[in-house]
Amino acid sequence: MSPPPRPAFNSLGSGDRLISSTSGSPCVVREFIGAGGQGEVYSASLDGEEVAVKWYYPNWCTPSQRRSLEVLISKGTPSERFLWPSDLVSQPGSPSFGYLMPLRQKRFRGMTDLLKGRIDPTFRARATAGLQLAHSFLQLHAHGLCYRDISAGNVFLDPTTGDIAICDNDNVGVDAEGIGGVMGTPDFMAPELVRGQSLPNTQSDLFSLSVLLFYLFHVHHPLYGKRLLQIRSLDLKARIKLCGEEPVFIFDESNTVNEALPWEKDPTGEAGANAFDLWKIYPEFLREKFTKAFTVGLKDPKNGRVRETEWRMVMSQLRDDITYCPNRHENFVDRSARLWGTPPTEGAGELPPTDPCWVCSATVSRPPRLRLGKTWVILNADTQLFPHHIDPTRLYDYSQPVASIVQHPQDPSRWGIKNLSNRAWSTTAPDGSQASVEPGRSVSITLGRRIRFGTVEGAIAA
Amino acid sequence: MPRAVASRPLHFIWLVDASGSMRDDGKIQAVNNSIRDTIPLMRQVADDNPNARVLVRAVAFSSGARWHLEKPTPLDDFSWQDVSAGGLTDLGKALRLVASQLAIPPMEERALPPVLVLLSDGQPTDDYKGGLEALLEEPWGRSSVRIGIAIGRDVDLEVLQEFIGDPTIRPLQANNPEALVRSIRWASTAVLKAVSQPSRGRLRSEETSVTVPLPTPVTVSPSGPSSEAVW
Repeated sequence: MSPPPRPAFNSLGSGDRLISSTSGSPCVVREFIGAGGQGEVYSASLDGEEVAVKWYYPNWCTPSQRRSLEVLISKGTPSERFLWPSDLVSQPGSPSFGYLMPLRQKRFRGMTDLLKGRIDPTFRARATAGLQLAHSFLQLHAHGLCYRDISAGNVFLDPTTGDIAICDNDNVGVDAEGIGGVMGTPDFMAPELVRGQSLPNTQSDLFSLSVLLFYLFHVHHPLYGKRLLQIRSLDLKARIKLCGEEPVFIFDESNTVNEALPWEKDPTGEAGANAFDLWKIYPEFLREKFTKAFTVGLKDPKNGRVRETEWRMVMSQLRDDITYCPNRHENFVDRSARLWGTPPTEGAGELPPTDPCWVCSATVSRPPRLRLGKTWVILNADTQLFPHHIDPTRLYDYSQPVASIVQHPQDPSRWGIKNLSNRAWSTTAPDGSQASVEPGRSVSITLGRRIRFGTVEGAIAA
Repeated sequence: MPRAVASRPLHFIWLVDASGSMRDDGKIQAVNNSIRDTIPLMRQVADDNPNARVLVRAVAFSSGARWHLEKPTPLDDFSWQDVSAGGLTDLGKALRLVASQLAIPPMEERALPPVLVLLSDGQPTDDYKGGLEALLEEPWGRSSVRIGIAIGRDVDLEVLQEFIGDPTIRPLQANNPEALVRSIRWASTAVLKAVSQPSRGRLRSEETSVTVPLPTPVTVSPSGPSSEAVW
């Protein structure tokens, strides 16, 4: 293992007063929240506002650490998803320093809670979290910054909505600019970084992003397969071999030395039984991206990795591919492999049967879908359409739906799509008759019906 | 839904000097209090590290060595009973005792590196080198991460450094009760974290309950003209 950091003999106590560098405002320490490898985190009060303070251990209070924090503070946060350093703080008479950042809201839970099985977000929430994560990485990179050390410990999510918060951003650095200090957690580092052959950069972040997403959907590490069973002491050296020197994806069909094993072959689950169970329930397009990320992406940082924009699209498609079994378990309608294997025709045609529910084996009935250009949205009772669905120029933004699924107030057996936007739609029945769907009105979900949402036309199909 | 991520046991063993000199200046009481105070923090670290199942044990040594907490105890069940002091400083016997339990079995074949934290205020009175050799003969002894905390100024730091065995990790010197609290806090949190997942600090997660609304299936209505279809 790496040598643990030197001890902290500069801990703060409740009531200690710190001075923030820019404003000069006093900041009063409240309570110890947690300790890490570089310092300790406390809650504190700054001008009556609750904030968090990261207070470095003495050996991390270096001029270079201070300089890189100053860069981050002056650049400002890439988005509200980052709990970004806002100001440096110091304590009169002490050479130590730290920084202020927003306190994480209580609704956010750690990725580690997800990995421990304490929270079990829906697939929709997971896909939302994945999309936000990919988007946040893109924003960070757009600022010319990259991570040096991102892991499950940095990522928090709201288990209900999938909203994310990224903590501990003090090891963000300028892209491909090497400084001493933290190199990261091997489990989340790109192989070329684990081997010490490269400095953190956008490409290495893309690898870390793929690992985080794989964990989010499979509750297992993509490179921890049956080879784990040969490793006695899972120390740093072993992790460097698995993640850096000889990485092999657990679902690499061309190389099975490290394949995931099911529970019956490895009851400990160390060889990837969780992933074994989950891998096959996801749509082919998700499996393809992970396979690319962890096969060619292991060796070709420049061209082999899945980009943030690709992940955003995949995550958005995943959200739109969810349906429910009679017992309300989420299942995926696999558009690429099963339902939409050939160029789709509107409504007609024999479609292959859906898989039984992956949880309870009940038959999953085929839900109606709304075809939108090249893509689709499965229509469930809880489906909502968002601006990007009906306007390809809009970015993924799930804050304000433009349509929702409703039941007719007098006849609940009639389902409809309600216009929540501020523009009228027009709709055309298979018989050619047309009508306008004003904001607040709904249009019945009937086979072959077309709905024009501004520039995009949708068609309802089986 | 998926089970928790796979984890490995992480054995964490306190080796507490219970020699007569530990009675002076309330040192043994300070050790007892500090270890007790650090339990919630250890639980928090363990909570944040899904890949590790932390199991705690403790050895007390004075004239001879004995298990103070023999059974590997999950943190949720772990409470600290006071160690009382009196006698010599038989560190070597303590190391042999630990070595016997790091053999496979009773140790698991696969685990995370064990963490051994030695707290002492003096110089060994027995053959500590033999004990250290016995410990390092065991594969799990060799791969353990060893931390030494010197209580007061009378400690032979070279002995602690020999025990640690890694020149990049120095003994912690706790010359007053506050420093002891901090050393024990660091050994039981930062070191625990570094072994379970070489990673950095993170904020605490709060428990909140989560409810998920249940959807009903959408069905397709029979086709009709558009005039009837808009409502």
